[in-house]
Amino acid sequence: MLIRFEPITERCAEIVEQLMSATEMPQDDELLFRIRLCVEEAVENIVSYAYKRGDGWLEAETERIDGSLVVTLRDAGTPFNPLDIPDPDITLSAEERQIGGLGIFLCKQMMDSVRYEYKDGCNALSMSIRIETNN
Amino acid sequence: MEVKVTNENNKTCIKISGRLDTTTAPQFQEVIKPLMEGEKADIEIDCSEMDYTSSLGLRSFLMLQKSVNAKGGSLVLTGMQPNVREVFDITGFSQIIKIQ
Repeated sequence: MLIRFEPITERCAEIVEQLMSATEMPQDDELLFRIRLCVEEAVENIVSYAYKRGDGWLEAETERIDGSLVVTLRDAGTPFNPLDIPDPDITLSAEERQIGGLGIFLCKQMMDSVRYEYKDGCNALSMSIRIETNN
Repeated sequence: MEVKVTNENNKTCIKISGRLDTTTAPQFQEVIKPLMEGEKADIEIDCSEMDYTSSLGLRSFLMLQKSVNAKGGSLVLTGMQPNVREVFDITGFSQIIKIQ
């Protein structure tokens, strides 16, 4: 399923809900929890930071490929690879921990793979998680 | 999401029901703001009906823990659901926030 959202300002919750209702989504509640969390983190980053000057668009694609669900988010905002953000040091104390920087870390930990590419003037973030166990 | 705050024996009890996400985290932040601005507090948060938290929710918990540590109060989260607990474990938050 491919959906294009424009404008996107303050529409994170609505975009997440539409994506989570895609026919490619699994039935399993635990998988859905993980997918929702990662989709929300990734969409929130785009809605909040991709377009520095005014509003823009976000294209979301959900596919089933070889037993995995692949969610790809594209935007034409400022080129930005979220995978360049250093992982938080999870061994630090509460006082030392910085507020924020957890979103993309959660995606990397909870999905099987997270890939980024900048192509044809667009950021593209693809997240994949295995949802079928019988092949 | 619903947040209920009660005071029992000088302890602040908060119960979160539903999803702590992009839309609702600001509402939770408003609830804990007076606790962070006030004096030393002992806080217990009942998470048994909290189905979900995103990183924005985690951010609020961390801010509250930092505030509690600075003032010598206490913070404990109870009844956490397994899915939510996994988010706390992955991010190391189980190590810095007391979970019972």
